[in-house]
Amino acid sequence: MRFRLIYNHKNLSKPILAEAILKTKVLINILEAKVTPTAGEIMVDVPVEGEKLREVIRFFEDAGVTVKEVAQILEIDMGRCMGCGACVSPCPTQALKLTKDWEIEFDEKKCVRCMICVDACPVKAIKFT
Amino acid sequence: MGERGEETLRTYEEINEKIKRGDATVMTADEFVEYAKTHGVEAAAKEVDVVTTGTFGAMCSSGAFLNFGHTDPPIKMYRCWLNDVPAYGAIAAVDVYLGAAALSETRGLEYGGGHVIEDLVSGRVVELRGEGFVTDCYPRRYVETTITLEDLNQAILLNPRNAYQRYNAATNTTDRILYTYMGTLLPRMGNVNFSGSGQLSPLYKDKDFETIGVGTRIFLGGGVGYVIGEGTQHNPQNGFGTLMVRGDLKGMSSRFLRGATIHKYGVTLYVGVGIPIPIINMRVARSASLSDEEIFTDVVDYGVPSSNRPSLRKVSYAELKSGKIVLNDRSVPASPLSSLKKAREVAETLKKWILDGEFYVSKPVELLPTYRELKPLKIKGIEPRVKDIMSKNVITAKPSDNVQYVANLIVRHGIDHVPIVDEENRLVGIVTSWDIAKAVAQNKKSLQEVMTRRVITAKQNEAIDVVAKRLSSYGISGAPVVDEKNHVIGVVTTNDLAKLLEGKGYL
Ligand code: SF4
Ligand code: SF4
Repeated sequence: MRFRLIYNHKNLSKPILAEAILKTKVLINILEAKVTPTAGEIMVDVPVEGEKLREVIRFFEDAGVTVKEVAQILEIDMGRCMGCGACVSPCPTQALKLTKDWEIEFDEKKCVRCMICVDACPVKAIKFT
Repeated sequence: MGERGEETLRTYEEINEKIKRGDATVMTADEFVEYAKTHGVEAAAKEVDVVTTGTFGAMCSSGAFLNFGHTDPPIKMYRCWLNDVPAYGAIAAVDVYLGAAALSETRGLEYGGGHVIEDLVSGRVVELRGEGFVTDCYPRRYVETTITLEDLNQAILLNPRNAYQRYNAATNTTDRILYTYMGTLLPRMGNVNFSGSGQLSPLYKDKDFETIGVGTRIFLGGGVGYVIGEGTQHNPQNGFGTLMVRGDLKGMSSRFLRGATIHKYGVTLYVGVGIPIPIINMRVARSASLSDEEIFTDVVDYGVPSSNRPSLRKVSYAELKSGKIVLNDRSVPASPLSSLKKAREVAETLKKWILDGEFYVSKPVELLPTYRELKPLKIKGIEPRVKDIMSKNVITAKPSDNVQYVANLIVRHGIDHVPIVDEENRLVGIVTSWDIAKAVAQNKKSLQEVMTRRVITAKQNEAIDVVAKRLSSYGISGAPVVDEKNHVIGVVTTNDLAKLLEGKGYL
C-alpha cells in the first residue's frame, strides 16, 4: 500500500525512515521525495498488510510524522481508452496489463510512478491525480 | 489451380441473394479460424458464405477531402487552416485535403489533422481560416469562420495507404529509450511493440487479393467505404499489401476514427477498417482460416537508424498476442499498438450489418496486383559522410597524462575535445575543455579522475544527420570517430556540422 509521509521542521532531519525499516524489518520503498528546509513529503510503498502494516504506520506516527494513505493516483479515462496496448509493454513493472478481452487493467501495487505510460498513450487517456 | 478470383464455391450474386433472404452464414475471422480448426477447412468453406475481418490501428497515410461551399464574394482559397492545422489548398477554389499527420501551427505535436477529423466526426465546431489568391472572378482575400461536418458539401475520408497486411514488430537494442512510430521502446530490448491484428487482419484473410479489389465495399471508420485501389507502397509479394480507401465522413463515428499523438513522433489517425471476405473458392477459404500460429512477422531493431533495419527473429502473432516473446533467451513483454478490442468490434459490427441485411458484398471491378516493386528513393549527388567533415588531425592524450598537460594541448590547438587512448591508439575515454576547466578549478591533477569513460562515438561512414541527432540527444558537442577496432581516427564536432551547413548556404 502506498502512503504519503509528511514531515515537519522538527522531525525532518531525523533518520526516521531508516529506523522504521530497521525496526519493523519491512522493506519500505521510496517512490518520490520532496524536501524543503522546513518540511518534507515522501511517497512510499509499504509492501505488507494487516497488523504489520499498522505497526509501520504507528512507528511513523509516534515519531511525529503524519501518514496519509494515497488512494488512486493513476487514472485511466475509460471513455477515451481504445484498449490499444501502447502503454502496456513499455511499463517497466507490468503494472498495466491487457485482459483476455483486450481491456486495459491497472495494478496499483506495482506502479512506480515513472510516467512512461502517460506519454506512451496516443489518446492521452492516462492521468496522474 | 483456377484463375484468381474464380467463384467456384459460390458467386457474389448467390451470397447477396442469401443476405437479402436473411439466411447467409456469416462468421468473424476469429470464429471462422476456430470453426475450421474443429470441422476442417472444407466443411467450413461449404458452410460459411462470408468471413468478416477487422483492424483498428494508427494509419498515418490518411486524410480527408473537404468542400466548404462558396462565400460571397467568392474566394479562391490557396492556403487554409482548420483549428490552426494547415490543409492543402492548391486544388479548386474551396476544396482542400486535410492530412492526418499535419501539425497544428500553435499546438505542435499535441494536435493535428487526425484530431481535426475526429472533431469533425464528433460534430464539434472547427475554426476555418483561409487566404485567397485574388483574381477577377475570386475577389475575396481572406475568410475566417467556423464550420461543422454538417455544413460541408462533401467530407470524404480518402486514405492513400491503409490496412497493412502485417507490420514489423519493434524492439530497441540501444541503451536509451526511443520514441518511434512504433511507440515507446525501452532500452536493451526491454519491450516489443507490434501492430496489426493477425488472424483478424483484413488483408491476411484474402492474402492473394482474390476478392478484395477496386470497388470492394468495406467498413470504414464506423461507416461504409470502398476500396479504390492498391495503397501506396503496396508490396504484396512480401506480405506488405496495402489499400487505398474512401468513405463518406458524414456516416462515420469517433468510435472508429480517433486522432492520436505518438509521443515525440507525430500526429496520426486511428482508423477502423473491416473487410468482408466472401468465400468464393477454396484458396480464399484456406487463407481466411489462417490462425495466429500461422501468421508471422519480423522483430526489428529500431535502434538502427537506417531504413534497412535488421530482423532479430521471426515471430507468430500467437506469440505476440500472448503478451511475452522470447528474445535472446529472455522473455520480453510484448503489446499491440493497434487495438485488438476494437478490431474485434469492427468484425462483429460488420457481421451484424450483413446478418441484418444492411450490407451487401461487391465483386471487384478490377483485382489488385499481387506483385509490386518497392523502390527506395535514390539520392543523386554526393551526401557527406562523417569522414568528409571530421578533423583527421586528432590530438589525443594518455590516461597517465596530467590535467595541466592536457590544458596546454587544448589552448595550443584551440580544440574542445581530447580523446584519451591507450598505447595502441584505442579509445578509453574523453575529456572536454569544460572537464579540464573544472578540474583546474577544483585542483584535480590526474586525468583518470576527470575523464568520461563511456564515450559516445561515431563511425566514418555514418550519415551526418544520424550523428547530428546523436550529439543533440546526448547533449554533447563532439564525438571521437573510431574504426572497427576502436582506434581513434578523427573527431567530429558540432562546429564541423555548422561549417558544413554554412558551406551549403543553409545558414
Ligand atoms: S507510471 Fe510507470 S510503473 Fe506506473 S503504470 Fe505507468 S508505466 Fe507502469
Ligand atoms: S495506451 Fe491509452 S488508449 Fe491505449 S490501452 Fe493504454 S490507456 Fe488505453
